[in-house]
Amino acid sequence: MVLFIEKPFKRLMRIRGIGQVLTVTAGLVVLSIIFGIMNPIFFSSRNVANLLRQIAPILLIGIGQSYVLITGNIDLSIGSVVGMSTMISATLMTKGINPWVSVLITIIACLGVGLSNGLLVSFAKLPPFIATLGTMTIARGIAQIANNNYNTDSIGEAAQGLRDFFYYGKTFGLYNTIWIALVLWAIFNFILTRTKTGRHIYAIGSNAEAARLSGVNLVSTTTKAYLVSAFVSCVVGLITTATSGMGTMDAGNSYELYAVAASVIGGVSTLGGQGMLFGTIIGASIWGVLQNGLQFAGAPVAIRNIVIGIIVVISVLLDVIVRSGRGARKKRIESTT
Amino acid sequence: MEDEAYIVEMEHIVKTFPGVRALDDVQFHLKAGQVMALLGENGAGKSTLAKILSGVYTRDSGTMRLFGKTIEGDLSPKQAQEMGVSIIHQELNMCSHLTVCQNIFLGHEKTKGSLLDNRSMRKQAQEVLSSLEIDLDPDIQVGDLAVSKQQMVEIAKALQSNAKVLIMDEPTSALTSVEIEQLFHLIRGLQSKGVGIIYISHRLEELQHIVDVVTIMRDGKYILEKPFKELSMNQIISNMVGREIKEKFPRIPSHRGKKVFSVQDLCAGPLVKHIHFDVYAGEILGVAGLMGAGRTEMTRAIFGADPKEKGRIILDGKEIAISCPEDAIRHGLVLAPEDRKKDGLCVKLSVRENIALPNLDLLCSKAGIVNRKKETEMVEKAIKDLKIKLSSTEANASSLSGGNQQKVVVGKWLARNSKVVIFDEPTRGIDVAAKVEIYQLMNQLKESGIAVMFISSEMPEILGFSDRIMVMCDGRITGELTREEATQEKILELATQFENKFETQVG
Repeated sequence: MVLFIEKPFKRLMRIRGIGQVLTVTAGLVVLSIIFGIMNPIFFSSRNVANLLRQIAPILLIGIGQSYVLITGNIDLSIGSVVGMSTMISATLMTKGINPWVSVLITIIACLGVGLSNGLLVSFAKLPPFIATLGTMTIARGIAQIANNNYNTDSIGEAAQGLRDFFYYGKTFGLYNTIWIALVLWAIFNFILTRTKTGRHIYAIGSNAEAARLSGVNLVSTTTKAYLVSAFVSCVVGLITTATSGMGTMDAGNSYELYAVAASVIGGVSTLGGQGMLFGTIIGASIWGVLQNGLQFAGAPVAIRNIVIGIIVVISVLLDVIVRSGRGARKKRIESTT
Repeated sequence: MEDEAYIVEMEHIVKTFPGVRALDDVQFHLKAGQVMALLGENGAGKSTLAKILSGVYTRDSGTMRLFGKTIEGDLSPKQAQEMGVSIIHQELNMCSHLTVCQNIFLGHEKTKGSLLDNRSMRKQAQEVLSSLEIDLDPDIQVGDLAVSKQQMVEIAKALQSNAKVLIMDEPTSALTSVEIEQLFHLIRGLQSKGVGIIYISHRLEELQHIVDVVTIMRDGKYILEKPFKELSMNQIISNMVGREIKEKFPRIPSHRGKKVFSVQDLCAGPLVKHIHFDVYAGEILGVAGLMGAGRTEMTRAIFGADPKEKGRIILDGKEIAISCPEDAIRHGLVLAPEDRKKDGLCVKLSVRENIALPNLDLLCSKAGIVNRKKETEMVEKAIKDLKIKLSSTEANASSLSGGNQQKVVVGKWLARNSKVVIFDEPTRGIDVAAKVEIYQLMNQLKESGIAVMFISSEMPEILGFSDRIMVMCDGRITGELTREEATQEKILELATQFENKFETQVG
């Protein structure tokens, strides 16, 4: 029996950064148990379904931010793209345009932001922080002028199909929102781990010059990562529209930072080259469990924010400590040889 | 030179680095007001000696006297500076956003109470600059100055901190002829103030204008010290290279095939000027030259890593356009770069991922999905062929030893069928056994009819392993030698054939 699991276990332990993922997974289990004991309703099927539905958008934007972080960059425009997506789609629908056509137009608009991010960072070589800070402000502006500086009215009956697809409907007993997140996660995880593009994303994050000299196209690879980020943000915006049945201009505020939190808690390195989307699922789940569990425990929003902030700092700190320990050990070994 | 006392006396200096004896019983002497040229090939130990004198490295054994005072134990950079030893590196170390005055006083600012005493610093900076006849406004930002002026600011800074021994490492490499003349004027000025100057340079033709005495080193050993006037250029060169080649190289006979690869009139920046050469199938072309001769820059321009101004690249009789490394690789032209950590490896990724990276086009389906089976096969074959020692293919590239890292850098290019393979310093910093494996690999490529080009700064390697040798100096190709006619002297002569920047104005 031990022999049977030994080999896959060894193989698992060899995966880079698995340590942090396993640690935070254990943390997630412990947190859930604590909340479960504090309030039995936490594990009720109703709450679990809700909890998963809360996690889904954070997971989606986490996927996008993880892609960009692994290339060694950052995307600050995520939250504004969510807002832009919800405002454009809702405005179009209230103007009587077919909901699915509206969705298509919204996706194209959001990909435009991703394309600009990618080109500004990789082709124009702007620092990613500045470039996406700019597009973040622009995208938020677009969200505001989409309906002349007003939130939209209800998107109405015509859009009921869309609302079911993105939010209310269930498939095999799970809310569609959760399915959307899982399916997109599976697709993007496959791309990141099994395709050439995925490999290139890790390579440029680890050493852009070495990757370039190995024939990797920095412009197209970086841009693809930003496009993924814009796409998932767009989907989250559409989910938001379906959820509230209208467009609000400040939707998605600070989501870019939640996305960083989910990625980083899950072990994605902000320095690039390292991380996996499995970790991002755990990171997003810890986020959701904390929000939900603390809410049940009666903690006000302010306390929730403080707790989550502390968790982010601690998880990165742990990673830094582990790495510097390993680095120091390696140096000692090198100096003795 | 009326002052006969030595200000620097170094005897029996030994310094070893892991695996290398960088300095072996070296002596060095300098008098006040003397300009001493420290000469030697790449790796002769000049910089190591200079670094020991300035406290950057500590000596293993040997005695050192500065200004008549014996140095007991280790000398720290700070002590060395306080005693009056300053070094001006080839790459200048200035804070480009600060002013000339701020840079001159950096680290030892003058204060009144706890406030900076700007007025007195400015006054003193002005004094130092005018005492050196440097016409510069102390309030100008250093970043706005030309390199030559920045260098003068460094010299002023050294003088302000009371330097009596000034080490200059390749000071003229970035200067124009007028600027060199200004620098020499400055050096003569320092000399008359009694400053001893150690002048490290490969540009032998410049020496006659300033140098009094010459110390020559070779392979970490002291060779001779003589007044410059008593030496001819030929004597200097033959003393620099006069070593016997002990190492054996696994050379195999070449069967030179057709011309595979030509570069015509390639220009790219100041270190790649009108490069023109051909490479034939089944031969190893060695590229020799001193540090900074532009060899790496040339290969990078060919490979598309850096932009080129003009030039034609012809492969198999057809001109090809290369604007980025991707193009070069697609055409079958690959480059194993010099700096492993910076350009060669993604150190955070595994050995498997590193080897597969440039070959993903061969390993992927049309949809871009990596075929893991093919990948594992390729990686395992490369590891076996190159005898790379590792715990697992999943090990991080950073966990390997230097030699094994180099094998990964080389190995990733051999998994595909290329027509031209360029190696930049393939054996730098690796042990003998690993070197031999790399040589054998190059032989395999040569045998299979691939055109191999390799850059090396190690003369024995170039002489022992190339079928043909091309020598570069200052961004130009200064000559080509067949294996039979090549000698160390001839190579060094070609490698020091600088364009005459500094016209002789003294009879």
